[in-house]
Formats: sequence, C-alpha cells, structure tokens
Amino acid sequence: MIYKIVHRTTYKYKYPVSVANHVACLKPRSLLHQELAQSELRIQPPPATRTERVDYFGNLLCFFSVQEPHKELVVEARSEVVMQGNATPWPKNAIPWEEAARSLPGDHSPAGLEAYQFGFESPRIRMRPEFASYALESFTPERPMPEALLDLTARIHKDFRFDAKVTNVRTPTEEVFRERRGVCQDFAHLQIACLRSLNLAARYVSGYLRTYPPPGRPRLVGADASHAWVSAYCPGIGWLDMDPTNNVVPSNGHVTLAWGRDYSDVSPLRGLILGGGAHSLKVAVDMEPLDV
Amino acid sequence: MIVDLYQTPLRYGSAYDELSADGVTPRPHWAHLMESLRAIGSEELGRRWGHAERRIRENGITYNIYSDPLGANRAWKIDIVPLLIAADEWRFIEAGIIQRAQLLSLLLEDLYGSQELIAGGHFPAALLYANPAFLRPLVGVKVPAHSYLHMLAVDLARSPDGKWWVLADRTQAPSGSGYALENRTIVSDVLPDFFRASNVLRLAPFFRAQREALNQFAECSNPRIVLLTPGPLNETYFEHSYIARYLGFTLVVGADLTVRDRCVFLKTVAGLERVDVILRRVDDSFCDPLELRSESLLGVPGLVDAIVAGNVKVANALGSGLIETAAVMPFLPGLSKHLLGEQLKLPSVATWWCGQTYALDWVLNHLDSVVVKPAFPSRGMEPIFGAELRQAEKGKFADQLRARPNEYVAQEQIDLSTAPVWDSGRLNARRVVLRTYVLNTGSGWIALPGGLVRVAESEGSVVSMQRGGHSKDAWVLWDSPVDTFSMLRPRNEPVELRRVSLVVPSSVADNVFWLGRYAERAENIARILRAIVPRVRLAEEADLGCLIRLHSCLESRHSKLPKSKNRRPTSLELEQEMISLITDVKRPDSLPSTLLEISRIGGTVRERLSADMTFLIGQLRESSQIAHGTQFLDYPAMLTACLELLSAFSGMERENINRGLGWLFMTTGRRLERAIYLTRQLREITIPLAEHDWSLLECLLEVADSSMTYRARYYTTLQPLAVLDVLMADGTNPRSLDFQLSHLVDLYQKLPRHVPEDLQAMRVALELLRSFDLRELEYPLPGSATVGTGLDGLSRLERFLRELERLLPSWSNNLSNRYFSHARTFPISIGQ
Repeated sequence: MIYKIVHRTTYKYKYPVSVANHVACLKPRSLLHQELAQSELRIQPPPATRTERVDYFGNLLCFFSVQEPHKELVVEARSEVVMQGNATPWPKNAIPWEEAARSLPGDHSPAGLEAYQFGFESPRIRMRPEFASYALESFTPERPMPEALLDLTARIHKDFRFDAKVTNVRTPTEEVFRERRGVCQDFAHLQIACLRSLNLAARYVSGYLRTYPPPGRPRLVGADASHAWVSAYCPGIGWLDMDPTNNVVPSNGHVTLAWGRDYSDVSPLRGLILGGGAHSLKVAVDMEPLDV
Repeated sequence: MIVDLYQTPLRYGSAYDELSADGVTPRPHWAHLMESLRAIGSEELGRRWGHAERRIRENGITYNIYSDPLGANRAWKIDIVPLLIAADEWRFIEAGIIQRAQLLSLLLEDLYGSQELIAGGHFPAALLYANPAFLRPLVGVKVPAHSYLHMLAVDLARSPDGKWWVLADRTQAPSGSGYALENRTIVSDVLPDFFRASNVLRLAPFFRAQREALNQFAECSNPRIVLLTPGPLNETYFEHSYIARYLGFTLVVGADLTVRDRCVFLKTVAGLERVDVILRRVDDSFCDPLELRSESLLGVPGLVDAIVAGNVKVANALGSGLIETAAVMPFLPGLSKHLLGEQLKLPSVATWWCGQTYALDWVLNHLDSVVVKPAFPSRGMEPIFGAELRQAEKGKFADQLRARPNEYVAQEQIDLSTAPVWDSGRLNARRVVLRTYVLNTGSGWIALPGGLVRVAESEGSVVSMQRGGHSKDAWVLWDSPVDTFSMLRPRNEPVELRRVSLVVPSSVADNVFWLGRYAERAENIARILRAIVPRVRLAEEADLGCLIRLHSCLESRHSKLPKSKNRRPTSLELEQEMISLITDVKRPDSLPSTLLEISRIGGTVRERLSADMTFLIGQLRESSQIAHGTQFLDYPAMLTACLELLSAFSGMERENINRGLGWLFMTTGRRLERAIYLTRQLREITIPLAEHDWSLLECLLEVADSSMTYRARYYTTLQPLAVLDVLMADGTNPRSLDFQLSHLVDLYQKLPRHVPEDLQAMRVALELLRSFDLRELEYPLPGSATVGTGLDGLSRLERFLRELERLLPSWSNNLSNRYFSHARTFPISIGQ
C-alpha cells in the first residue's frame, strides 16, 4: 500500500509578522514496515534559513525562519509512504505486566534504556494514583501484558466520548479523565498516563489515519486529519501500537510521523512570531491511497 | 583572653565556632583581627559600620526578595567582620572544589554525549530521565571540549568536628560572585589597615581570568560578549549589572537579542550587531521558547539552533542545570573513582535520592533526622524537616514519598559552624555557609580565593538570602605576599585606543530616554511646588487663583483638589494637595514617586552610569523619603535641596557623559519633557490674564529660573509679552521653548536611521514658533477692552501652542516606535 499525504497548515495574521522562527515535525519516520519514498516541505513565504535536524527521539525536524514581514504562512508537507506488512505483530502470550514494570529499571541494554525513558512524567503527562487505579482494572495480577494493553484500549474507547469541542491542545489529562471526553490526542495522553502510573513505558505517536468515505460516496479531499495513538514497550517483544480513539491495533492504515514523550515533543508545527496580533489557523490533511 | 566584645556561642551547643575553640582564646589566624577590632573600639566600629551601610544604599547595592513587602531593590545586608580562612585550610578547600568542578564537568559531558555512565550503571538512568532539567535538544550538540561549566559555585559548611562538607552545587548560572566582589570593596575599606597588613588573597585575578576565559571561548578576535539577565526584577539583578560593568560586557535581556540566519544579534539603536558569547543568568530551560519552555518571555527564540550551528557560545552551557540537584551527590564518590581515578576530596553532606529503593527505605525509617527537598528544584517546594512533622503528618508525607520517590531527596542536617557578626555594638555568633566559586579558564580550573559567606538571619539554622539573611566577606590569609592586581587599575595590560564606546541596545536607549524625561519631570514638579508652597498660606483670594492656575500646569491626573465648577478650592485644600504631592509615594504623579521612578530606571541602566551618577541617584531615592515630623514650613528648604540634587544630575548629564548615542537619547528625553510642560505653561499666558492673575507671570518666571534675566531687561515691570519673549522666543535662554525645539531638531538628526518626516515635523514646529513676531502682538491690558488685529495674533499663538501640545507626545511615540519598540515586543508562541 502506498499513500500520498498532503498536510497543509495555514496561519493568517491580523498584522504583519516581522520575524518568525518555526519547527516542523512533518516528515514521516522510516520504519521496518514503513518506507518514506518521497517527502518535501513547501513554505510560503520562502524562509531565510532552513535546516534539518534529527531530534533526541529520532524524529526528523525542519527548522526554518521567515525574516520578511508576512501576514500569511503556508507550510505544506507532501510525502509518499510505502507500507509493507504490519508493525510489530501482537502475540497473545507474553510476560505478565508486573514483570515488564519490574525489569525496566535494571535493563541497561540500548533497547531497554531507549524504552525506560518513556516511563516518566513529561511536560504534558503526570503520574497519578487515579490513573493507576483506572488502569488496574485491566492490569489484573499476572495478566499477560498484550492482553492487558488491549483491554485498557477498549475500556478507554468505551468510557470516553469523542468530542472535539471540549478540549484543546492545552487541556490537562486530569481534566480529560474527569470529563470523560476529548479527542485522539487526549485519549493517547490518558492511556500513556495510565501506563506510566503503573511504571510501564509508553510513548506518544503522531501520524495519519486512513479514513473511508461512507459507502457509495466519493473520498473527500482534505477531510482527513492528523492523528495520535500510543505505543507501549513490552520486554522481549518490543513496541506495541494501539489506538484508543478507534479501539484498533494500528496496521496499514496508520502512518507514523513521529514519536515522543507526549504531544509537546512532536507538535507538527510550532513557532515564535514577532508581531502578528490575532491569528487564525487552518489545517488540511489529505491521505490518498495509490493502489498499485 | 580576647575580645570582650564577643558573646560566646554557648547557646549553639556543639557547633564549631570559627573564631574560637573554647570561647575565650581566638584561633591563631583570628588573633590579629581581634586585636585590630579591639584597638578600633566599639564606637569607631559602629561609626564605620554606619558609613558602610550608607555606602551600600548610595551605591544602590540591592538584592530583590520576591516576597518582600518592600518590593524590589532591597538594600544588600553585609557584615563588617570578614570570615577568616587560614592558608592551609584554603589549599584543602581549593583542591576539593576544583576536583569537584572537573568531575561535574565530565559528568555533564557524558550525560549530554555518549551516556556511557548510564549504560555502565554509574549513574541512574531514572535520575536523568525523570529530571525536567535534562534538555533533550542539547544532547549530542558539539561544544568545545570541557566547556559545559564555565563557572561552578559550591556551598560549603563546617560540621562540629571541624570538617567541611558540600551542601549544594550551583551548576547553571551561579550567582553571588559579584556580591562577593562588592563586599570585598566595602569591608576592606572598613578595615583598611588590617586588610593591607594581612596578605589577604585578592579577588581581581579571578575576574580577569573570567574575562579572558570568555574571550577565548569565543574563538574569534574582538568577540562581542553579552550578559543575559532576566531583568531588573530578578533577585540578583544588581549583580548582573555590576559584573557587566566590571568585566566590560553589554547587559541585555532576552528581548534585546534576536536570531537571524542561525546567528545571535543584539538589537541596537544603530541596527543589529552580532553576538559571540552569552554569559547567562537566565535559567537554561527559559533560554529558548522555540525548543525549550515555550511560555518563556526571558529567552531568545532560535538560540538552541544557533548553538547547534556553532554560531554562538553560552556559558554555562544550556543544559548544565541538569546536575544542579542534591540527588547527584550520592553518586559522586563512585563517579570520582571511575572518571578521575581519585577519591572525592570534599565530601557532600549525607544525601539520599529517594529514587533508589534502599535510599527511600532508609529515609522513611529515619525521617526525624533528615530534611527532605525536591530532587528537581524547578518543582518548587519548601524543604521539609522531618523532625518538625507531627505524627499524623508523617504518615501522609511518607505516602507522598512512596508515590513519587524520584521527586525527593533527603539530606542529613549539618549543625552549621558559627562566626562572629557585628550586631549593634557587639559581636554575636551566627551560623554561616560559605559559597565558593571555581572558574574554567579553558586550560584548567581556578578558585575564587574566599567567596560569599551567607549568615543566618537570627539564631535559626536556615541560611538563605531569600529569607533575608546577611552576607559576609571571606578573607583567605595567605602565608606569603600576595598579588595586588586590581581590575580597576590593571597595570601591564596593553589596550587598544578606541573612541567608540559600548553599543546601545534598544532597551537601554529606551531607559535612558525615560531617565532624561523623568529627571526633567521631577525638576518641573519641584519647581512648581516650590513656587506655590511658600505662597499658599499667605495667599489672598486673588493670589489663590494664580496658584491654582500654576498647579493646573502640572496636569495632575491624581489631584486631590475638588473638581466642582461652582467653587474654587480653598487655600487649605491647596495646602493639602501640596502635602500630598510632596509626601504621597502611592500617588504616581507625586514628587517622591517621580524620584523613585528615576531610581528605578537608573537601576536598569546602572552599568551605563558613572559611579557619581549612581551615587546621585541613590541620594535622590533617599530624598524621596520624608522624615517623620517634617513641618509644612520645612518644605521649601526640602524642595530646594531636592532641586540641588536634580541640578547636579543635569550638570553631570551635560559635563560627565560622552556624547554617544546614550547621551543623545537621554538629552532628547529631557528636552522633550521640558518642551511639553513649557508649552503648557505658556498657554496660561496666551489666554489673556485678568489683572488679579498677573502675579502668575512672576511665578512662571521663577519656575523657569528666569527672573533675573527678566529683571535685567525689564526691571520690575511685568508685561505678558515680555515674559513670553523670555520664556518662548529667546533662543539664548536654555529654558525657553525655542531653545528646546531647536535642540530637538539638532539631536534628532544625529540619531542613526532617523525618520525624515519626524525631523521635518520638528523643524516646521520651530519655524512656526519663530514666525510669531511678539512685537506685533497686542495683549489686552487690564481695564482696557481693545479688540484689535494684535489679539488675533495672540489667539493664533494660543492655537499653535495647543497643536504643539498634541504634536510633542505623538512625536515621542514615533521615536519610541522607531528605536525602542522592538525591544519591548515579545515573541508569541503558536502551535504549542
């Protein structure tokens, strides 16, 4: 399966912005099951400087600065991604979750350390007893880790309502937990908070999800959105992805862009502007499957 | 047999006393000082102490205490008795803190590099990953070898058995070395003979080395080095400006800097200037809102990327705050053996990081004997003394520790040593902590001989400047003659002759502009008050009207006079208003508020002002405080004294400041302010005066200090047109409107990048002013009701002044927008 993805972000400002520094995290990672065939980042107005850097988590960042006055910024990321097979297959049986939690601190192997760093609080995620006790209903004693993970994913899907109106990018996870509603980013944060509160390692994955038009209707261009889900580390197996928003195990329809401790590590486009006054933001994502 | 002055520290029980082992005989290295103190005598010491305190206030040495009801700019508190350290003891301390700097530097290099210490189990991974001060964007960034720590501060304390222990390490932006320097200047002046006779190791070579180290660090010739401060509200802002001036660096706030083309630039009134090295006093996570804390207003967006590109160096390196936590202490002995192959020379106070299971258990079992602190200082939590918790609280606190063990560190409490402190006529024992400093010279490490001694406020054991403690100087008594190099008088350093002075950052231009305006504003207020006060009690009904018109020239928005249109304020009400204007600090347009504003702005540009000017600003601040019991009759003399200080200030502005850009902005501010109120006063004359108001003319001449000029020309005859001539049209009178406008034209065209339209606007105003021929005007004389063509001219003049009153503030705004506003706008974070 090949996807052609266009992710277009438009900022409009009331007054001219004199200088802007931005970071884009919009280039899909290359993974075992996911190959980046092509990618390009178009920026209007043309930036004065532009550099690529691999961040601490291995994501591909693009730093750019616009140094001429502008009232509109358009950043368009175009990528072509080839999906081959699936991400890590989910085994039915694996070590009990308690053992996973116990073994992490002592594992000084590169993979172990790489995983362990996702077992702590991060800018947007706190470890709390209420998250732990919610998670414990799925993480019953001695339960194999994959099974417990899937159960928690299903419960979050069942207990929480998708509602784009109640939260924003800054809503704390505690509030999402109380209100029982939110969007994909909130559910991912919540599930990560639950897992870390049990001393398990979990990371935030930002990416795209293939959507299907209602039967008989044509695919709407630009109606897709960026998506977020969760990946948890299971010693002996590796990273297992799960999508609490849709209660699915990501496969060919989920394209991974980047991962980090939480949203703040991988926000798709952030920046600092001088001037500008009030601004408006428009994001359009189009994910077109090119069947070969 | 000593010092009858010293109160033996019996009540401190077992604490080590620095001065004496038995409370009777001084230790050998203290003997000489004690003799000197006794010889000087209590009375003379008290006198010198008073002198030192005055000097601290006048030099504006301050330490801001965040929660202080007195607000920012609290006077620095210093003790006149230095802490003495014998040579051998210093050699021991020096070796210990230098070793520690080497060790911590290697630790940072590893954690921001290969992280082999983590993989090898020498440093706990959890302590790295859980630490919010671990700045991931800085991992793997190539920096010059061994350059993570430019300076390290180590807090030391002495236990009852006489051993030194490390209480804390300050690894990211250590503060206090500037205060140590200032303490040295003051205390060595209080005890000059003893200081000269005692081979006290000097501090200046350390600071010279610091300047050289930063110059070398730049890896280019003639580098521009800036000191980045969070701003005047920061607790140690005084020190930032002090060090910037002492070392010759430009003091900047984040908004003064900008990143273009992956390089850092300073915004100056003349344009952008490249910056090579940033000596920072801003906490590292606040330094770049793009890659670090996005809500920070103190940083520079893009700074991290400029560092990655290798285009700017930052000292201490961003990220070095990672190990500014006691939680690393338990691992230092092992790391020392592993990295240096040496035993740790100076032990840390016993410390347990609760992130380790056995440490957590130990702490829970020994809660009574430890103090628990946050492992990550940014979390902000007051230390908790286990012994002070009640039984019920203990259980709850233990749960807290178990729930988030990584977040806590516990330390044994040291029974701190005591040292003598001068306290109202005698020496008392107080607990002390010594903050020492180590500098990375690029080719090795050197220690500041001595340091900053912090003294507990009372008999309690918590030593903290934030809690209002005192400070002391520390003197290392060397056993041979010392290098007496002084930074203020360097001897053999070759200098390049230069005529261009420091660049002027936009924010500095902004501040000196307002310093000029406020100095002039204070003078205007004081002059008007001095004209009204002596007259108000004697005023007849007729004179009262004049005084009220004169008062209205202040354009006071906070006037206490009744606003009723039906009746005029009484003389008693005017008297009350005078008292309010002279004494009410809470009223923004009062004289003392204006003086405090001069002091505040002066503080923000302290490193740009001469010592005399700083001193004068200190005196102006002092004069804003009215002594208790001051009578109304005393006011004229007080106002005169205040005017003398303000005249001294304007005299220095004229005679003691180079005609650089800073001066241009300051003087432009002054001329503009004077033009604004002068215009307002002249309008009082162009609205025809009734006969009983003619004494206003006399007042206005007095306010403009032009009575003599007038009398020399017109004797005692008061004529409105003649007064107008002196105060408005006479270009030779430095207090005339013509003089102000023509100077504004001259000053403005000297500014780089000036706006032609604004220059033209001021020129046109000046030409219009000169187009009025006062001889052709007719002024309605009292009693005569002439309505001639001349009157038409008078109302044209009135209209012109009205328009000028509108033009001047908007002209000032344009100037602000052109030169200052980009220093005032903060970047806004989006998409986060």
